[in-house]
Amino acid sequence: MARIAIFHIFLAWALVVGVMPAKAAEPVLRVAVLNHSPPMSYTDSSGVLTGFNVEIMHVLCEVMHVRCEPVSVTLDRVVDAVAAGEFDFAAVSLLATPERRARVLMTRPYYRSISVWFARPGVRPGSGRVALVKGGVQHRYASAHAWSVVPVESHDGIAVALQQGAADGTLLPMATALALQQDARVKSLGLTTAVLRDPELAGDVCLSVNPRSPELVDKLNEAIDLIKRDGRFDRINSRFIPFRLQ
Amino acid sequence: MRAKGSHLPEQAPGTPPPVIAEARIRHWPAGTVLAGLGLVFAAIAASLVMWLAVDQRLVKDVALQLHDQTVPWTLERQRLARNLEELRFGGQSVLTASDQGGREEAFFLVRVLAAHPSMGDDPRVALLVAEVESFLAQIVSGASKPDLARWEAMSNRLRLLADDLSVEGGQRMTVELARMTDAMHQARYKLLFNLILVAVFLVSFLVILQRFLIRPLQRIHASLMTLDPHGPVPQPAPLAMAEIHVVEKAIVRFHETLRENEDVRRKLERLATTDSLTGLPNRRHFMGLAAAEMARAARYGRPITVGIADLDHFKQVNDRFGHSVGDHVLQVFAELLAETLRQTDLVCRYGGEEFAFIFPETAPEEAMRLAGRLRLRLAERPVVLADGQVLSVTVSLGLADGAGRGLEECLARADQALYEAKHQGRDRIVVAAASDERVPTSP
Repeated sequence: MARIAIFHIFLAWALVVGVMPAKAAEPVLRVAVLNHSPPMSYTDSSGVLTGFNVEIMHVLCEVMHVRCEPVSVTLDRVVDAVAAGEFDFAAVSLLATPERRARVLMTRPYYRSISVWFARPGVRPGSGRVALVKGGVQHRYASAHAWSVVPVESHDGIAVALQQGAADGTLLPMATALALQQDARVKSLGLTTAVLRDPELAGDVCLSVNPRSPELVDKLNEAIDLIKRDGRFDRINSRFIPFRLQ
Repeated sequence: MRAKGSHLPEQAPGTPPPVIAEARIRHWPAGTVLAGLGLVFAAIAASLVMWLAVDQRLVKDVALQLHDQTVPWTLERQRLARNLEELRFGGQSVLTASDQGGREEAFFLVRVLAAHPSMGDDPRVALLVAEVESFLAQIVSGASKPDLARWEAMSNRLRLLADDLSVEGGQRMTVELARMTDAMHQARYKLLFNLILVAVFLVSFLVILQRFLIRPLQRIHASLMTLDPHGPVPQPAPLAMAEIHVVEKAIVRFHETLRENEDVRRKLERLATTDSLTGLPNRRHFMGLAAAEMARAARYGRPITVGIADLDHFKQVNDRFGHSVGDHVLQVFAELLAETLRQTDLVCRYGGEEFAFIFPETAPEEAMRLAGRLRLRLAERPVVLADGQVLSVTVSLGLADGAGRGLEECLARADQALYEAKHQGRDRIVVAAASDERVPTSP
């Protein structure tokens, strides 16, 4: 009996000392990420969610000593879900527009972006059917300018729409445009490209944060600052983008 | 005994104490002086710290600038330089592409890079990139043929600009580090200066403490250790602090009190041991001294003689001329005793007109000669009264050998011899024999 009692005490001690602190010491953050949006967020050939933003998320969480739980969402839900508190933050590149700033908290910019026009030859911006990802700045811009919009759920859907002839052109963020330009499905279409220099389509790119977690903004800012100094940002950059994001 | 370190003459007993010289010097309270010095030191220290803080602040500002601005700026410059290299590679690909598709694909990257906002951060970059994009765009559109020589020049300019951008961050950091180093050097000199200043202040502080506090305390200590009512009056230090000055003045008053007490003690001692009329030791005092002399003579086996004298017919003098004349006679006889007897002889007014003697180191025969000399001098010096009358006074003496005997016994034997002298007719000396036999002498 005495041996059993000692064993039980030891078991309880092992649970208390070994298991409980490990779980208690590492908070879990729910992070919204996109899927089907290469090279920023996508599932690779081995079925693993990866991409520039996904890897940046992992490094930021490592720096903040938190465990992050990525959850795939579509771009049109990102701001609503973060504003509603469904996520602690979103590892999604969002141009820091005043409308978004009014609804969610934004980190400091971690790079700047522009928008690139892809279209069949002869199709100019504003003419033809334009495939756009719902929830993006480009979608909002096109809608505001009464373009003929073909809404899609993800950037992957743009290639499909162009390939299938459902759209004549598209307007994309810089990094995604690089991936589309390399996409075999659209290479044969002979698309022409142009950079739209409207200020509404370019600017600082930030991460969005739950408005009820201002302290998380500070932690994320410090983490972004750190990884941009210690080289981890540039190493991830080199894995997914052919030039330096600035 | 004189006070240590004092240069003043000793004060004679009975003389009034000297007035303490109150120089017109302000004696500051030690608390005020120390608080003032502390405040001065604190003010100097605070000023020095603020002086040092200027450099410390500069170092901190430069370090912050390095951390928050220069390092990120440098990293961005290096990223921009890297993008210029990517642009150069893209341009090279445009020129070396085997077909139009390849050219357009390569030019896409050039266009995106050239349009990136970071290219507008530096005017040199913006100009060159616009030139490169325009040059390559003409080639891609077919408006012009590839000019390899021009491209080579542009490519070199891109490479050089990338190099410049890469090192500019380092140059800026070098300048700021030099500023920081200068500030640290300056702070080092200031710290050294501050340490010297603090050392000077501390030395001055110690000198002030030594001169105005410690040394006066040592002087007070010496004064108290050597304080003597017969010694010199301690003099207060002219530059001592107020508390010290008060203590020194108290010591002076204490010395004065000691001296007064000593005078009183002497007077009381004189009153207690002296007969007030004749100035001779009184009987009680004489008995103490005589007992000591007898004991000494007994211890060393030395000769000693005890005597008692009585003025003859003194009652008649009192009755006939009054007690004042009697007192005068006693005083004259006392003066005669002082003139006639030796320094070592003891004498006292034993009572009324009786006087007791101790002749140390003197055998009865020698004592008898002394007593005879006294009797003759008294006879030669009659007492002259105020009204001119001359009064002849005689004295009878009884002597006893004191060797080996007690004082009381010797006095009794001398008294018995005196009685014998009176009985034999007065004005004579009788020595008590070793036995009970009396030996009459003069006249």
